[in-house]
Amino acid sequence: MTERSVQEPAALTLTVNRQQVRWTGDPAAPLVDVIREHMGLTGTKIGCRTGECGACTVLIDGKPVVSCLVPAASAEGHEVSTIEHLIEKEDFRALVASMLEHGGVQCGFCTPGIMVTLWAWLQDRELFNGDVASALKNNICRCTGYRSILSAVEQVIAREGGAHE
Amino acid sequence: MNKTAKSPNDLMSKLQGETRYIHDMQLPGQLIAGVFRSPYPHARITRVDVAKAKEVPGVVAVLTADDVPHYEYGPTKYKDWNILAKDRVLFVGDEIVAVAAESKEALDAALALIEVDFEELPAVFDPEAAMRENAPVIHEGVGLNRPMHVRVERGDVEKARKEAYIVRGGRYYSNRIYQGYLEPIGVLAQWSEEDGLTLWAASHIPYRARETYAAALGLPEDRVRIIVPPIGGSFGAKYVLKVHVIAAVLAMKTNRPVKIVLDRLEDMMTAHPRVPLTFDIEIGADREGNFVYKKLAVYGDAGARIYWSPNVMATACTRADSVYHFRNVIAEGHLCYTNNSPTTCMRGFGNAEMLFAVESVIDELALGLDMDPAEIRMKNIVRAGETTIHGYKLDSCRLDECIERVKQLSGWERRKQLPPYRGLGMALANHVSGFRAIDPRFDGSTAVVRLKSTGELEVETGEIELGQGMSVTYARIVSKVLGVDENAITVKSGDTARYPFGIGTLASRSTVMGGNAVQRAAGEMLNRITELARQTLGPEAVFTGGVIRFKDKTYTLRDVAAWHRAQHAGDELTVKASYVPDTEMPDATYYGHPSPNYPFAAHVAEVEVDPETGRTRVIGYWAVHDSGTIIHHTMAKSQVVGAVAQGIGWVTMEDLQVENGRVLNPSMMDYRMPGAKDIPPVVVEFIEEPDPHGPFGAKSVGEVALDPVPGAIANAIAHATGKRGMRLPLSAERVWKLMNDTSDQ
Repeated sequence: MTERSVQEPAALTLTVNRQQVRWTGDPAAPLVDVIREHMGLTGTKIGCRTGECGACTVLIDGKPVVSCLVPAASAEGHEVSTIEHLIEKEDFRALVASMLEHGGVQCGFCTPGIMVTLWAWLQDRELFNGDVASALKNNICRCTGYRSILSAVEQVIAREGGAHE
Repeated sequence: MNKTAKSPNDLMSKLQGETRYIHDMQLPGQLIAGVFRSPYPHARITRVDVAKAKEVPGVVAVLTADDVPHYEYGPTKYKDWNILAKDRVLFVGDEIVAVAAESKEALDAALALIEVDFEELPAVFDPEAAMRENAPVIHEGVGLNRPMHVRVERGDVEKARKEAYIVRGGRYYSNRIYQGYLEPIGVLAQWSEEDGLTLWAASHIPYRARETYAAALGLPEDRVRIIVPPIGGSFGAKYVLKVHVIAAVLAMKTNRPVKIVLDRLEDMMTAHPRVPLTFDIEIGADREGNFVYKKLAVYGDAGARIYWSPNVMATACTRADSVYHFRNVIAEGHLCYTNNSPTTCMRGFGNAEMLFAVESVIDELALGLDMDPAEIRMKNIVRAGETTIHGYKLDSCRLDECIERVKQLSGWERRKQLPPYRGLGMALANHVSGFRAIDPRFDGSTAVVRLKSTGELEVETGEIELGQGMSVTYARIVSKVLGVDENAITVKSGDTARYPFGIGTLASRSTVMGGNAVQRAAGEMLNRITELARQTLGPEAVFTGGVIRFKDKTYTLRDVAAWHRAQHAGDELTVKASYVPDTEMPDATYYGHPSPNYPFAAHVAEVEVDPETGRTRVIGYWAVHDSGTIIHHTMAKSQVVGAVAQGIGWVTMEDLQVENGRVLNPSMMDYRMPGAKDIPPVVVEFIEEPDPHGPFGAKSVGEVALDPVPGAIANAIAHATGKRGMRLPLSAERVWKLMNDTSDQ
C-alpha cells in the first residue's frame, strides 16, 4: 500500500456545478465516473461508455460533451455543469414543461443527456446553423423518434417570441 | 394541487434526471459481478480452472457449473436453460463461470485469469441447415433441431392455386434487430434467510421472471421478490434474463448484494435480437384483385436456447390472416435451434416481420393487375362485425377509414406523378391488445385503488411501465371515473411482494388489460366513497368533481379517508378488482379469439432514393390508427412516432450482423440507429371509435404502430426504384445492387 501511495498523482480540483471537488483517483478516470460515483450525481447516465449514445452529456464551459470520453484531468480549470445544476434554471423549467406537453420523454434514460444538449443549444442558437436536430447528432433516443423533442424546442422558442411581444 | 407522492416513473423526474435506474442504485456491501463466456459457438468444455482467479485480492466468489443448481427450467414451456454451462457451450457468449468481487479491477483481473479448455464441435447457424440429416445436435432429443413445428391450414389452398388468375411471392428475409434500449442490461440481487431473494431487475413480466428464477434456484416462488426499477427501454429484450439468475446465485453464495451491469460491448455481443425469419410466400388473386389464397413457409432461428421465439413464430404464421381475407391459407413454421445467441422478441413480435413480406407481395399483385395498391387493399380487408379466418372477433374495425384518411393526408393521388427516384408506399396492420396464450392458466389483470390518508389516490397494478405511458394512462382513467385531478393520482407497480399479480407488459397489453382492471377498481372506489359519505353525512351526500357535497358543505377525500379509518381500525380505504376478458385460448389449429380487441393501422411512407448510392431517405410519413378511444393523446402519439422511427431504422440501416455465431458490429458506432436527422415529420391521426371491450373504448397502440412500417417503406422504395427488395434491411448497398441488377437476393 505504501508503494502505491507514493505513485499516486496529485489530487485534481474540479469545478462541478459551481462546487470545488477534490479527486484523488486516477486522473485519466472518465469524468462521468467522478460525477456519478464520487459525487453521487446520478442524473448523468451511462449508455455505452464509448461516446456514441450521448446519455452522459454534461456541459464543459457551457458546451455539451460526452463525459464518458473526457478524462477527469482535462476538466480541471473548466466549469462542469450537470443536469442537477440546470434544473434550477428558469428556462430549463420551460423546456421541461414543453417536453411534457409534447411527449418528448418515454423511458427517460437518454433524457437527461438530451435535456443538457437542448438547453445548451437554446443558450446559443447560432450553433449548428441554427438547427436543433443537428445539435442532437450525438444523442440517441430509441423511444420517441425525436419529433416530439423537436416540437418541444420549437414551442419553447415560440413562447419566448410571444412573451417578448 | 400540492402533490406529495410521485410515481417512480414520473415523467417530470425523468426530464430532470431524478429517476433512478438499476445502474444508479447501491446497497451497502455491494459486490460487482461478471461472467466468463464461451468464445466458441459450439464446443465441449474439457477443463475449467479457476484457482488463479480465486486468489486475486478482492475476489469474493468464483462459481462454475459445479457450484450452481441444475434444474430444468426456462421461461416458456421449453425448459432448456441452465445457469452455467457444464459440459458443452452452445453459442458465443454462453455463460461458464461467474465472478463476484469488491471492485471492477479485481473482477476484470479474475476474469482474465480463468482458464477453460475447449474442444470445438461442428456448429450450425441457419435454421434450414439445422434441419438437415447430418447437422450437429444442439439439444439431445430434439428431432431436426426443431423444437417447434407449426402447421395451420384453413380452406383448400391447392384448389385455389389452380384457380388463381395471378400469383406473386418469393423468398423474403427479415433480419436480426438489436432492440437498442439505451439502458444496458443489469441487475442487483440480495439474499437473506428472512426475506429470501430480492432482485432489482428491469423485467416487464416480473411474475413470469419470478416463477422462472424460483424454478432455476429450487426455491418456492414466494421466496423470490422482484422489484422493477424504472426501465430504460426494452422493446421486448428484457423479459426474463440469464444474468438475473447469475446475480442471484452469487448473492446467495456470498450473502452480499451483487450487481451486474453489462457494458455495451458485452450487451451487444450477447444480445438476444429480434428472431430472424425467412418467408417463402405466395399470394394468389382473381382477375378483380380479390385474394384467393396465401401459402407460407417460415424458417425461424431460435438460437441455442428458447426465449420467446416460439410465440414469435406462431404470430408470424397466423396474424396477418386477420388483416386481409386470403380465404384459403396454409402455413408451415419451422423454428430451429442453431449455435447463434438465443433470439427473442422485439416490438411487432413476428407480425411486423410477416407483414413486411405480405405487404410487399400485395404491392406486386397490384402492379401485376395494374391496380392502385390502396384499392387492392380496400377490396380485401377485414371489416367490423366479422370473425376472421382464425377466429378473431372484430367488434370494432375502422381499417377502411384508416385507408381513406391516410390517402388524403399523404396526398396519395400524387403517386402517379412523382419525380424520378421518389416513391410512395402503403401498408396496413393489425395487432392484439393482450394475447390469451401468453399464460394458459389465466388472462386479464388486477388493480388496487387506495385512498391514502392525505386524500390522494394510489393505483397499484401488476403491469409494468416501460415509458409507453402506462402510468399517466391509468391515472387518467381513474381521474375520469372519480373526477379527481389526475396529478393527485399516483401509479405504482413493479414489486412482486407489494402489488397485485400481473401478466406484464407484452403483447400490447397494458392499456386494455390493466386499464380495464383500473377502470373497474376506480368504479368500485366511486361506490365505496359515495356509500361512506352517505352513511357518515346523510343520504343526500354526493361525490362529484372529486369532492363530497352535502347540503351547503364540501368535504374533501382527506375527510373521507379519515371517516373510513375511524371505522376500520385505521386501515386505508382500498378496493381491488380483476378484469377477466372473454378471450379464447387458440386451439391446436391456432383457432380462437385471443384478445379483447384488435387495433388497426394504415401507413404511407414517402422516400427518395439516391440513384448514385442507393441510399434511401424517408421524407414523409403518415400514420392513421384505429386504436379505439385514445386515453392519453400525447403519449399515444409519441408511441406511434417512436415506432415509425424504429421501423425507419430497421428498414434503412439496422442489421445485427452475425457470422459463425459472432456479432460483427457490437457497438453503437457500427450498429447505427436513427438519429434526429433521420426521422421526417410524422403525421399521426386516430380514428376514434370506442371499442366495447376497452377501458373507455381503448385498444392498444404500441406494436400496431411498428407493424406496417417495414412494408410501407419497402413498398415506397419499390415504387421509387421499380425494383423489389426482398431482404431487410434495404440498405444503401442492397438498393444500389437492385437498381444495378447485381442483386444479392
